[in-house]
Order: sequence, then structure tokens, then C-alpha cells
Amino acid sequence: MSRGVVHIVDDDESFRTSLRRLLAALDFEVFTYACGTELLAAAREVRGCVLTDLRMPGLSGLELQGACARAGLELPFVFLTGAADVPSAVSAMHQGAVDFLEKGAPREALVAALERALERARAAHAAQEQRAQLRERLATLTERERTVLTLVVRGRMNKQIAGELGIHERTVKLHRTAITHKLRVRSVAELTLLVHEADQLLRRA
Amino acid sequence: MSLVTLIWSMAAASALTLAFLYAMIGGLTERRDRANLMFCLVAVATVLVARAEVGMMHAGSITAFGEWARWYHVPLFIGVVGQLLFVRYYLNAGREWLMWGIIGARLVVLVLNFMVEPNFNWTHIDSLNHVRFLGEDVAVVGHAELRPWQWLPTLTRILMVVFVADAAHQLWRRGGAQAHHRALVVGLGFALPIAGAVALAQTAVLGLAKLPVLGTLTFMITIAVMAYELSREVLKSRRALQEVTELRRELARAGRISALGQLASALAHELAQPLGAILRNAEAAELQLQKPAPDLEELRSILADIRKDDTRAGEVIDRMRAMIKRRSVETRPLSVEELLRDTIALTHAEALARRVRLDCVVAPGLPQVAADRVHISQVLLNLIINGMDAIESTASEQKRILIEARAGAQRTVELAVSDSGPGVKQELIERIFDPFFTTKPHGMGMGLAVSRTIVEAHGGRLWAEINSGEGGLRFRFTLPAARGAAA
Repeated sequence: MSRGVVHIVDDDESFRTSLRRLLAALDFEVFTYACGTELLAAAREVRGCVLTDLRMPGLSGLELQGACARAGLELPFVFLTGAADVPSAVSAMHQGAVDFLEKGAPREALVAALERALERARAAHAAQEQRAQLRERLATLTERERTVLTLVVRGRMNKQIAGELGIHERTVKLHRTAITHKLRVRSVAELTLLVHEADQLLRRA
Repeated sequence: MSLVTLIWSMAAASALTLAFLYAMIGGLTERRDRANLMFCLVAVATVLVARAEVGMMHAGSITAFGEWARWYHVPLFIGVVGQLLFVRYYLNAGREWLMWGIIGARLVVLVLNFMVEPNFNWTHIDSLNHVRFLGEDVAVVGHAELRPWQWLPTLTRILMVVFVADAAHQLWRRGGAQAHHRALVVGLGFALPIAGAVALAQTAVLGLAKLPVLGTLTFMITIAVMAYELSREVLKSRRALQEVTELRRELARAGRISALGQLASALAHELAQPLGAILRNAEAAELQLQKPAPDLEELRSILADIRKDDTRAGEVIDRMRAMIKRRSVETRPLSVEELLRDTIALTHAEALARRVRLDCVVAPGLPQVAADRVHISQVLLNLIINGMDAIESTASEQKRILIEARAGAQRTVELAVSDSGPGVKQELIERIFDPFFTTKPHGMGMGLAVSRTIVEAHGGRLWAEINSGEGGLRFRFTLPAARGAAA
């Protein structure tokens, strides 16, 4: 069972190969690229994390990170560098790098950084899944049901909702049953929580 | 041979030797040049003074004595002029009008001396006396009548003492240990013997002490003072020259180290690649070996890679060590192509980091050059890094450095480094080679000065011109082809 996917980007072939050997032996699923452009071209839906050299011809490590973000690839980055220099490290961390390691860093540190990055990748992946599911479920609601849902979450009573929408209180009850059924929730509290979560997730998306 | 003849001719010989010596040494500075010339003049005058004195002492007749006394005035005049000008030039002090006044008065004495009989000092000499001097009978003036103008040469001597004392005082007031020393030695070394000479001459002329004329003594003392001072100057300038050479060597080294500093991070990057690869390969091998059935083929290729990367790291270290090492210029026949390749390899990482393209064009069939690998690499590195700095200061899209090598005139190879930077104004193009001239905010301004020193030490030339194509600068330098190298 693979511990996760690692994409290695480094212009130095020898270093790239050695890293691939080590990570493969540690049960990671490894892909290697000689430059950032190769990685960007490789796949639209890249999973896992990126382990990249900072200084490279063509796209630098930092530029690759920016390009991935713009392409909508949510990949955690771990940077490797010959000699750690503070400005690049700060800049990389600001852009959301998981870690910043020297090329000769201990294996344990490297593995720990990759684990953290993959953990983050998995979390991001799970959140994405959840978002997709929610969006799917919300999509099944009718226009009227969605309006009712908004009012329910705002804490209105059935009678108030009926008054506001100019419909019968029984109809409101029917709508609410349909909503809880479609969204697979049991209580108003659960419903409110779900809508709040959806609001958060969808706003971030 | 009599003792007098012996001593006087020895004095003459040593004066002549010194004159010859200092004429040979010549001078390095203008002041010393002229002082040297005056020293030689005084030394030659001393020889003649000594001869005339011996002539007087050994004179067989009144006429002969009178003639020697008359000719005695010629070297005396030369000596006085030499002494005065020496003080003037060497101390760079003293009142000129006084000096020329004294010289004028002595010239009058000299002219009159040859217009009257038997000479300037006496209207007539009636007899000679013989006195014991250094165990010998020597002739001195006996019964004679002094000329009334006798006071004139004496006055000039006294004025000379005044002139020297005044010049020394002027110099002393200017201050500084050197000036004080010089004022003291020259002031006392001239004023005292001249004052003594006045006294001696008066006793001799007036016939008081019954002593022969002893001008040689005075002259020898002043010569000794002059020789002492001049040789101190020679030693001093020699030491200064040594210091300058030492300083230049230090600067060459400092320049090399600062270029190294700029490259240090790039080199660390270069070293990190092979070292990192070795580490990861070794770790991968360890994991392989822990497996129940290790992949031997994989292990073999891992070991081969480790060996390869070790060599690579070693090469980086060798290059660095070669750069730091302090050496004098040792020329060897070198391949230009190899030289350029190695140097460019050193700047490769830096160029990568700065996004500068390095292009290298080497004309085919170039002869080997006689050059010191480390020093010429240093020059190339300097020029390439300078070019990168220049390019960095522009927003230019075309970030390119072109390195060219081609055959030059008269068995030389010409190398050129051109950048697409902003260049400099035509009128500054020569000034960029001046030490401490820099256009960079943190530059020391030593790189180009040191580079030029290095190239010139190889017998080549380094110059800059506006790069007509891309508007940046082009640095060109020549290196001599190695002896016996095929053209």
C-alpha cells in the first residue's frame, strides 16, 4: 500500500534518480520531472505532493508553486535547496510551502515533511470530495425548497415562512420534509450545521 | 709616497667613486634626480679641490703656488654651486634670491681671479714658508700681501651658512619626523663644516696658523652628509616599492576572495547536488539491503552513481581550492577552450539563478596560450560576474553574456566578454579600470583594476569598449600564444 504520491522536480538528473530510488524504497509512489513545465504538462489532476528544487533553469521552484496554484492544482509543496537562503524560504512559506529543506537534510526530516504534505493533500482532497457531494445534494433542491431552507436556517417558524411566502403552512411542512430527506439530515440543528458548513466550503471554492 | 699625497688622493678617489656610483643609480623621483646630479657635481669638485691643494702644498716655486691657488677657485666655485643647489632641491626649502646672490658673488670672484695676477687672494706673494704637516714639509704662504676684496669670498661663505640654516629652519617648521630628520642632518652637516672652513681658510690665508689650505676636508664632510641622505632615500623608495608590490598582491587576492564570496552560494549549491545525491543513494541502498531479496542490479547502479557523484563533488572542491590558493603568476601552455569551459562551469549556477544566458564562441584552431589558469579564470570570472551585475540593473529582456575567443595580432589570442547591460558613457570607459571606481552600490571598485594587473602581468592588454550591437560593454583582453604552440 503506497504512502502517497510524490512528484519530484529537479534539473539534476543524478539527484532526481537518487531521490526516486529512496522514496520508492520507502513505499512512496514517485514520479520524476526534469523541470516545472513537465509537471504542469503531465496531468490536469495531479494528486499527492510536490518535492522540488528551488533553483532550476526555466521555472524556479517558487514560480512552479505559483503556476500550480493558478492552474487550480491544490498541491502542497516541499522545497529542497542547495543552501537555504532566508528570503526564498520566507517567500516559499508565505505561498503555503509545507517545508523547506536542505538537500542533505536527514532522511527522517525529509520523510516527516512529505508525510505532513501528503496529510495536507489528503485533507484538501477530502474537503474537495465533501464539497462536491454537498454541491451535488444542494443541486437536487428545487427553487422553492431552497428559499424555504434559507428561511428555516434563519430560525423562522413554519407559520412565519408560510406568511412570508404566501403559501399554506402544510405546504411548508411538505417542503421541509423533502429538504431533510434530500439532504439526509434528521434535525433542524443538523440542517443548520450543514448549511453553515456548505456556506463556508462553497465560499472558499 | 708622502702621507699628504696618499690621504688626498684617497679622498679624491672616494669622492670620484661616490660620484660615479650615484650617477649610475640615478633617481626615481624628480627631487632625488636633481639632488643626485648636484651630489655628483660636488664630488667631482672635491676631486679637483684635493688636486689643487696637493699642488699648493707641493709647490716648488712662488709662481707655481700662485697658479695652483688661482685654479683652486674653479672647483671651489663648482662645489659651492653644487652644495647650494643640493640644499635647495633636496630640502625643497631656502630663499632662492639669497642662493643666486651667493652664486653671483662667487662668479664675480672667479672672473676677477683670472683677471689679476697672481690670483684673487693676494696682490703679490713674496715668499713661501715650509711647515710640518702630517710628518711632511709642505708649502704655505710666507710673506705676502692680501687683496682688499678678500672679504667678498668670506662673506659668501658666511651667507652660505645663513642660507643653509634658513632652509633647514623652513623645513623644520613644515613639521613631520622625516622633515625634522632631514633638516637636522643637512642643516648641521652643511652649516658646521662650511663655518669651520671659513675659520680654517682665514687662518690659512691670513697666515696665522701656518696651515695649508684644507678645503677638501669640508667638502668630504658635506659629501658624506649628502651620500648618507641620498642612500636613505634610495632605501626608503625601495621599501616603498616593496610595500606597493605587496599591497598589489594583497589586493589581487582580496579581489579573488570577494569574487569567491559572490560565488560562494552558487558553489554551495553545486556541491549540494552531488552530496545530496550520494546521501539519498546510500539510504536507498540501505533499504534495499534490508529487503529479504535485495535487487542487486539496483544496488550496482546505486554504487556506480555514488562514485560518479563523489568525483563531481571533488571537482567542485578542487576548483574552489585552486581559486583561494595564493600564488604568483605561473604561466603554462593552456587550451583556451578548456579554460573557458572550466570558468563557465564555475559561473553556471550563478547564471542560472540570475537567469542570464551564457554563450561561448571559440574560433577553431586557436593556439594554446601561455597563462596562469587560476589568474586568468579570476579575470574571466570578474568580467562575467560584472556583466551579470550590469545586466541585473536593466529591465532588458535579453539577458545574455557572450564570451568569445579568437586569434589576435602578433601571436596572441584575444578573449572578449560582452554583456547586454546598460554600458557606461564613453568618457568613463577608461576610468572604470581605476582602483575604487565602481558603479555598483556595494562594489569595492577593485575587480577591473586587479584584472588589468593580472592581464598585464601575462604580457597582455585589457580594455573596454561600447558593445555596438546590444549597447552594453565589451571587455577584450589578449594573451600571448604559448611558445611553440601551433597557430
